[in-house]
Amino acid sequence: MRIGANPAKAGLPAYVPQELGVALITYIPLLEGYFKNSLEILTYQLQSLRASTTVPFDLLIFDNGSCPEAVAQLKTWQAEQKIDWLVLSKHNLGKAGAWNWIFAAMPNELICYADSDVLFRPGWLEASQAILQAFPQAGMVAAQPNFYDVLEGQGQAQQVLKDQAGYEWREYWPDKAVIDEFCLGIAASPEVAAPFYQKPLPVVVRLSAVHDGNQAVVGASHMQFIIPRAVARQVTPLPATRGLLRTETMALDNRVDQLGFLHLSTTQPYVFHMGNTLNERLLVEVRKVIKQDLAPRAITPTDQPVNRSWLYRGLSWLASQPRCKPRLMRVYNLLFQVLYTERK
Amino acid sequence: MRIGQNPAKSIDYVPQPARVTVALITYIPFLSGYYAQSLEVLKLCLQSLAQDASVPFDLMVFDNASCLEVRNYLLDCQTNGQIQYLVLSDKNVGKGGGWNFIFQAAPGETVAYADSDILFRPGWLSESLAILEAFPQAGMVTARPMRSPEAYYTTTLEWAQQYGGAKGGVELEQGNFIPWEVYLEHVTSLGTSEEQARQWYESRSDWRVKSLGVSAIIGAAHFQFTVRKAAIRPFLPFHMDRPMGQVRTLDEQMNQAGLLRLSTCQPLVKHLGNTLPFVAGGAANGTGLNPSLAAQSPVRGPRRGGAIALQRFYDLPWVKKILLRLYDRIFRLYH
Repeated sequence: MRIGANPAKAGLPAYVPQELGVALITYIPLLEGYFKNSLEILTYQLQSLRASTTVPFDLLIFDNGSCPEAVAQLKTWQAEQKIDWLVLSKHNLGKAGAWNWIFAAMPNELICYADSDVLFRPGWLEASQAILQAFPQAGMVAAQPNFYDVLEGQGQAQQVLKDQAGYEWREYWPDKAVIDEFCLGIAASPEVAAPFYQKPLPVVVRLSAVHDGNQAVVGASHMQFIIPRAVARQVTPLPATRGLLRTETMALDNRVDQLGFLHLSTTQPYVFHMGNTLNERLLVEVRKVIKQDLAPRAITPTDQPVNRSWLYRGLSWLASQPRCKPRLMRVYNLLFQVLYTERK
Repeated sequence: MRIGQNPAKSIDYVPQPARVTVALITYIPFLSGYYAQSLEVLKLCLQSLAQDASVPFDLMVFDNASCLEVRNYLLDCQTNGQIQYLVLSDKNVGKGGGWNFIFQAAPGETVAYADSDILFRPGWLSESLAILEAFPQAGMVTARPMRSPEAYYTTTLEWAQQYGGAKGGVELEQGNFIPWEVYLEHVTSLGTSEEQARQWYESRSDWRVKSLGVSAIIGAAHFQFTVRKAAIRPFLPFHMDRPMGQVRTLDEQMNQAGLLRLSTCQPLVKHLGNTLPFVAGGAANGTGLNPSLAAQSPVRGPRRGGAIALQRFYDLPWVKKILLRLYDRIFRLYH
């Protein structure tokens, strides 16, 4: 039975969420292979987020069934009050499944989503908000120029904008350094990278007394973006049947577009995709933001050839052969599934 | 930079959510005073929940900034698979904030909410779902018969009167359908004296409604209820600026929106409050639960004259007011 009065009923104020909420999804099932540096990268991400965000914000981390070591680190950060809301899911609900939680439940007016391998630079929020203010029809605004328009220029919301007065469409040629950095983040091969240097990006310019000249690249990436809560609430539930399926994550873009909201991004890169490995070149960028002395990192094989044994070189050559690579990848994925994923 | 393909892309199956999400909000800021037994009560709550496996469900716990001991216990439950989704909030966002999170994020199409001081008895969920099925207009269903304030179920009564009789297929009866013992069990759990409970019990009667062969008592409570997410979504988000004490909003909104507020005919959940149930012999109230969770008797032995006088002194309204204020100030200092 209840004895006495619950002190919580004494009129204490409840916590009022900040206007900005930042949400990350973590999935680090092991600290080996692809995920070897993931925890360290996440650490830099959180440090850069704190260092580059000028307004108070609430941080939510949705952990999608990571390994005990990763969960222990998240718990430690939560105990140190570095995470406002920590969601621990027993199962991996997939990226879209976690989005369903985040977009349905984050109480903040403005929600920023980022993968757990993104470096935030100063000005990311201001630049994103400037676009949101200049283009009230914006649903998603990314803080890095968008090089892949998942809607392939066919977004309905874009078409509507093209017919409206007060907007001008132009071509935008990003600096070579911007393209270099983008290609580095996705580890683009020369063949994949080449078109990015040869094709301009479409930008839309706002012509108005207040926002005159504000421009944005058309399109936004899934890696990082801000989305007003009012839009986020309308896009869920998204289909979520796989761990990371392009058609499921693209459902977000399609819903946003069908609702008549634009995908836009900044013309300069205020966020940087760190990916899953760290090398000295990346750490230079990290140091610029978090202003800490980080131990120099051995240059990875991607930057400089390393002397390997003849056996390794022979196997490496074999593995790179078109007939071998798909088979080895299949084995690799099979091993991952056997070791780390749930079965029906 | 990204090297290699993210293995997550090879995951071809992610578990699909159960149809029902059972959701609890916990708030135990320390383990003394009012909350001295709250962790044990929470353990009893989760233990009783785990006993009824007749309907599959996912368990979500929203912890509203509890103390370390409670969080560690919840983390253990999450690790061992008893909790599917654990949300640890660094700040107390209030019950309204917790509800906003739960009812918007819960992956199940139906959400069974409960405070963290509830004992669940076998069949509580299946009975609640049966009522939701039989009464498509139902908003919230509590798993024990309630005599809640009439002001919050006027719509339910009007609906039953409108559709009552052979034509509408709904049977409506008035009478004493809640046994005295069942009524007493709940009201005394709220700290009400038996004398007061008797007065209330004799001054009111119950409404019972039947549809598609399923009976329900009219009235529900917000300490435990089952609701379809689609039914509660229009009321979200709740704007509650205090941790507790504003939850009647939900009852009012449900009633105003024309949704039925119903409860089961049998007491399938029990409000424990902040103390453990006591039954002579040490068993935890005949629930079949771990006897180690049975409380020491809250009934004290015969008191000496001095102690009685002191208690009377504490009960003086102005003394009590000062002591409560002091208690409240200390609580605020820390939380």
